[in-house]
This record gives sequence, structure tokens and C-alpha cells, in this order.
Amino acid sequence: MEQLQPGISRRRLMRHLVLVAISVSAAGTLLRSRVRAQTVKTVTSRRRWSGEAAARRLYQTKPRWASWTVPEFNQPDEWSNPTAWMAAIQNSRHVGYVHDNFDRLYPVSKLPHHWGMVIDVRRCIGCQACVVACKSENNVPVGVYRTWVQVVEQGSLVSDPAGAVVTDQGRYQPNVKRFSLPSLCNHCDNPPCVEVCPVKATFKREDGLVLIDYPKCIGCGYCINACPYDARFFNPIQQTADKCTFCVQRLDRGLLPACVTSCVGRARIFGDLNDPQSAPTQLIGQYATTRLKTSLGTNPQVFYIGLDGVLAEGGADAFNTVYPYAVGTNTEEYDDLTGRVLLQTPTGGEGGTP
Amino acid sequence: MLHGTLIESGLENVYWGILIVTYPYISGLVAGSFVVSSLSHVFRQKVYDALAPLAVLVSFALLLAAPLTVLADSRQPINFWELLSRGHWPYSPIAFFILIWLGYIALMLCELYFAFRAENVRRAVAGGPRWRLYQVLALGNRDLSPKTADRDRRVLVLLSSLGILMAFLFHGYIGFIFGSTKARPLWASPLMPVMFIVSAMVSGIALMWVVYVLAMRYFGRPVDRSIADGLLRYLVLFILLDLYMDAVDFLTGAIPAYTQGPVAAGFQRILLSGPYAWIYFGLQLGAGIFLPLLIWLVPRWRKSWAGGAIMSAGVLVGVYAMRWNVVIAGQIQSKISQDLVAVTVPWFGFDSVQTVLGVFGVAFVVFLALAWLFPWKAWEQTATEESRAAEARSGTAQIPAQGGTVS
Repeated sequence: MEQLQPGISRRRLMRHLVLVAISVSAAGTLLRSRVRAQTVKTVTSRRRWSGEAAARRLYQTKPRWASWTVPEFNQPDEWSNPTAWMAAIQNSRHVGYVHDNFDRLYPVSKLPHHWGMVIDVRRCIGCQACVVACKSENNVPVGVYRTWVQVVEQGSLVSDPAGAVVTDQGRYQPNVKRFSLPSLCNHCDNPPCVEVCPVKATFKREDGLVLIDYPKCIGCGYCINACPYDARFFNPIQQTADKCTFCVQRLDRGLLPACVTSCVGRARIFGDLNDPQSAPTQLIGQYATTRLKTSLGTNPQVFYIGLDGVLAEGGADAFNTVYPYAVGTNTEEYDDLTGRVLLQTPTGGEGGTP
Repeated sequence: MLHGTLIESGLENVYWGILIVTYPYISGLVAGSFVVSSLSHVFRQKVYDALAPLAVLVSFALLLAAPLTVLADSRQPINFWELLSRGHWPYSPIAFFILIWLGYIALMLCELYFAFRAENVRRAVAGGPRWRLYQVLALGNRDLSPKTADRDRRVLVLLSSLGILMAFLFHGYIGFIFGSTKARPLWASPLMPVMFIVSAMVSGIALMWVVYVLAMRYFGRPVDRSIADGLLRYLVLFILLDLYMDAVDFLTGAIPAYTQGPVAAGFQRILLSGPYAWIYFGLQLGAGIFLPLLIWLVPRWRKSWAGGAIMSAGVLVGVYAMRWNVVIAGQIQSKISQDLVAVTVPWFGFDSVQTVLGVFGVAFVVFLALAWLFPWKAWEQTATEESRAAEARSGTAQIPAQGGTVS
């Protein structure tokens, strides 16, 4: 038996290991520097919001899908060429965007705008005009919603021999209060959906909007599961994640979001939260406001006036929903309620009774 | 009835369907079977020497198949390249995938090389119809001296130790995907990665028992009792750990006084008294934990082949039920509306039973190809004790009996 000489082979092994370690660390450094370069770029190359000048420039290159032109249906337009309209939506020449370090966002950038919304629940009459306007403005497909208004009842039915509600089990008197709860993406300052996106397809723009770069989306659904407000959904046409954008295409041209414009009770008030004279800032200063699910630490930027605390925290047992479509047409409760659902599916099939 | 995974209308849907149930299941089998192979490589348990090559092949085949589930579940699978070019680590748990998976693949390739190198060289030297293949698999290194064998062994120890770490990372990150999602009350638990890893051990050991016994039966070889019984011993050990984790999960999740409202409400409403109570009590706890423990407690059942088979099958079913109870049960709890979200798994089409069976089919075909490629069969090893001794004396391969074209 030959004497073992582990030294030689160990040296060879170590040489190989060192080579592997060098290449791994080089690759890591490259990746790391890419990430850092992006962050630095966001911080240092930030540009001032150029306001009117930018809006004028954009007007000159007004895309055909803009809502104030005469619509040409069934014509190929910029929606069929994502790179054209994505540049307009992201508007990254004017506003930077980030994917993390949200706590540093506003102090560092000091942008003049930070968009936010105040919803006065007392003034909402539950007409759903905002839902329709949103769908019309943003081409939201059938069956999904960027904004929706739940009409909910809180309270209970009290057993009463002279009650107005007659059932097989007896008569009841409703001891309830009815609310309308307009809901949309809260454009959180600490958005879990942006943090979990594996490809940085969704991002937070420096003026506060949480947006999606649709061509980058891999459709994994993580952001949809991570959103505590269920504001995200899979767009059944383009098969990516989708959500409310505060009508960024209108906003960048100096217009209010469609839901705000269409609100008959003026329950939705939109504006710049950085501007002390803006309407939402004034309202937040003068009224007690609530935000949804603040316990999750997402720091939402949609403020509610007159919202019940139980509703704000949500949860399955917080209320009874009156409008079943807002419950979701695929719950067991909806099945019990209607017994029959017919809806054209994206794949061409048809949902029916079991 | 409208089905959440298929139609996706209305406000709340189950977006992650049965494919995402299968993803942690398969990756758990990867981790578990790899740890079985390391019983021989790292922990020096000679009994499992014959099992280790098979476990490595099973682990590698499943590792290659695991991402197919997420790829098939993705709405834009063609964009998978963005994961490489726009990785969002360390912020997004899913973005860890590409690092951990590619690293694990590289490690497994090294492991395959060093685990089979000596036997590949012997077969290449011995000739036969496939000698060129073995030559390539050995990467041209024909050294069979004891020094090199010793190096191979030490490298294998290092690789397997790293591999255990990678297996835990690979499976732990999947647990972290769920554990870090604070919007889903039933997911957001720091226990999640640990629970996933423990149940991965359980399912991997059970799978290796089944694969080992079936492979031996298929080739008409005697099943080594010490291997089969040893695997069952480890299985029971990890089932007890799994029981402990389930108990902790129950205490910290199901009891309203101990936990947050939505967590307890979801646990009670979905798992304890709701639609998945039978999956929780019947499959996850019953078939996955208590049935195997019961069989183990009766010596006559424990020693019978049927007993071992029922234990392993029960564990495999129970762990799949556990994945279901994490992935699906977490999603049917509504975030903003009332009641539970309805979900039915389609038989065919997107996110269906068909695709899951397809992924398992791919894993099986890959396993067959690997089993054909690599000389894992202990009874066909070309080296006898005498030839090994001769190798040790001369430092080159000595081919017994059949000879061949020695180049």
C-alpha cells in the first residue's frame, strides 16, 4: 500500500476551490454593482417634476388612445405596442422610481408631488359611477375591477314577531347600518407588492404611484397574494398582474383620475399631499381620517373620512355585503345566493351550474 | 359553479392552484432524498452505501422537474428570463429561486461526477458498448489510485455537507415565500420554513423507501432489510418532529386566546371545522402522522412489507395534504369580503391535475434517463474485492473476467 499523500491533492483541490470562489464572488460583485448602480441612479439622477413644460411636451406627442380623441375601435393602436405607451405611463424621464428603501424615498427625493386620495364615506351614495368610469377609462376587462364600491351592512337581524324580514324561521327586524366603501389600490408608502415582485416589474414612482411595467411581468401572482387589500388581479386579456394606477395617463397630463371626475357626491378627493393648500391635505388636517388595515404597516395613501373602525380593519366577519358582485362571484356564498352564474370566460368556456 | 383557478372573475380568487401545491411537495422530496444520500456520504453510515447513488439520482431528477410547476403556473412563462436579468434579491423571496436552484444544480452535477467517477472509469476501461459514454462521464480522468479515491471521498463529504445546506435553503426559501406574506393570515408565520423542512425530510425518506423497494423488486434483487428498516426508523424520528411542529402550529395558530384574530378565525373556519377539516385531520394528521406511528408501534406490522408500504404511502399523501392546507387553505380565506373563496381544481387545462401529472411524468422520465446513464446498481459494480486490491497496488484499473478494449 502506497503511503497517502493528501497534501498534493489537497493543494489541487484548494486551487480549484479558490478558482470557484473567485468566479462566484466576481459574478456576485457584478450583480451587486448592477443593483447598486440602479439605486444610485435613482437617487442622484432624480429630476425635478417639470410640471407644465412636461405636460405640454406630452400633449404634442399625444397618443391616439388618449381619452379625449374620437375613439377608433378595432384599430391597431399603442395598446398593441406596449413599449410606446409604457414610456408614457412610466414617464421615467421626469420621475424616478424605486423598488425598495421606501423609507428613504421622500426625504431624499423631495419631489414636489406626492399623490394621495381622501374618500369621504359619508358622501358616497353607492352609485358605482366611479367603477364604470374606471372601467371605461382604463379598458378594464369584464369580471375584474381596479376600483369597486362595496355596499355593506353592519349589525344584525333581531328576532321580532312584528319584524319586517319574514323567513321560514320567523320574523326579524334589521338592526343594521348601511355603508358604501369605495376601494382601490392604496398606493402604499411601504408596499408589500413591490417588495415581493421577483423581477421588479412593479415599482413605486417617486411621486407616490405604485405602477406595473407590464411587459416585464412574469405573471407569478405573488404581488396579488401579497396585497392585503386585494387591489391587484390578473388581467384576463393581457395575462399579467394589473391594478389601479390613479389614472397615471390622465395625471401626467394634468387631469384628475376618472373615478374622481365622475363621482357625483364628490366623495373622492384627489390631490397632492405635499401641498399644504391642496384639498386632501386640508381635509386630512380638519377631519379625523382612517386608513385600511394600518396594523399591517403598509402606510396606505388613501384616507377615509367617516369610516367605521371595524370596517377599516376588514376581515370576513366585519360586515354583511349587500352587493354580491363585490363579494366576488366565485364564493360559496354567491353560489348559495344565486344558484346560477353565467359568465363568458377568457378561455372561451362558460361557467354554469354544477 | 365558477372555479377560482380557472376563471378568475370577481374580487377574490385562488391564484395559486394545485401546481403551487406540487412545487413545495417536489422540492421537499428533493431535499429529503438528498439528505438520505448524505447518510452515507457525510454521516458515514455504511449500511446506506448501496442506497446513496439511487438517492442522488432521484434527488437530481426531481430537482430538474421542480421548476416546471412554477413555470406552468406562471401567466407569462416566456418572461422567465427576467428572473435572471432583473433579480430582486434580497427583497423578493421568489427571486432567491434562481440563485439557490442554479447553485443546487451545479452542486448536484459535481456530486454526480465525484460519486460515480471511479465506477465510470472502471467501465470505460472495461470497454463494452457504452465505454465512450463512461469515458465522457469521467471527464477523462482515469486515475484510480488510492490517493485519488481518497480525494473523491473527501470532496464528496464536502459537497454533500454543502448539499444539505442547499437542500435546506431550497426548501426553506419556499417556506419563506409563504411565511413572509403578511396579507394572508394563515401563511404569515415564522414557523413556515421550519415546518416545510421537517415535512420535506419525512416525505423524502418515505419516497426513498418506496423507490428503493420498487427498484429492487423490478430488477429482481433481494431488498436489504437493514436499509429498509433503517429508513423506517429515520422516518419515524422525523414524523415525531413533524408532529411536534404541527402541535406548535396548532397552539400558536388555532387557539383564539394565543394568536391574532384573523389567524385563529381562518384556522377554525377552514381547517378545524370548515371544508378542509377532512384534509387536515384525515390526511395531514391521520394518514401522514398517526397511521405510520400506529403501524410502527405494532412489531408484526412494522416488520411486514405491507406495513412499510402503508407507512410510506401515508406519509407521502399526508405531506401533500399539508402542502394543500398551506397553499390553498391560506388563499380561500377572504381578505376584504365575506365567506370563503370557492376553488375547484380542473382535470384538464391550465393549472390542472393533468399538468401536475405531467410534471411528475417528466420527473420520472428524467429519473429513468439518469438511471440508465449512471452506474448506480451495486450488484453490477465491475470492481471486485480482488481487483480493488490490485488497483491499490498498481494505481490503475484491473479489469476482471470480461476484459475489453483498453485504450
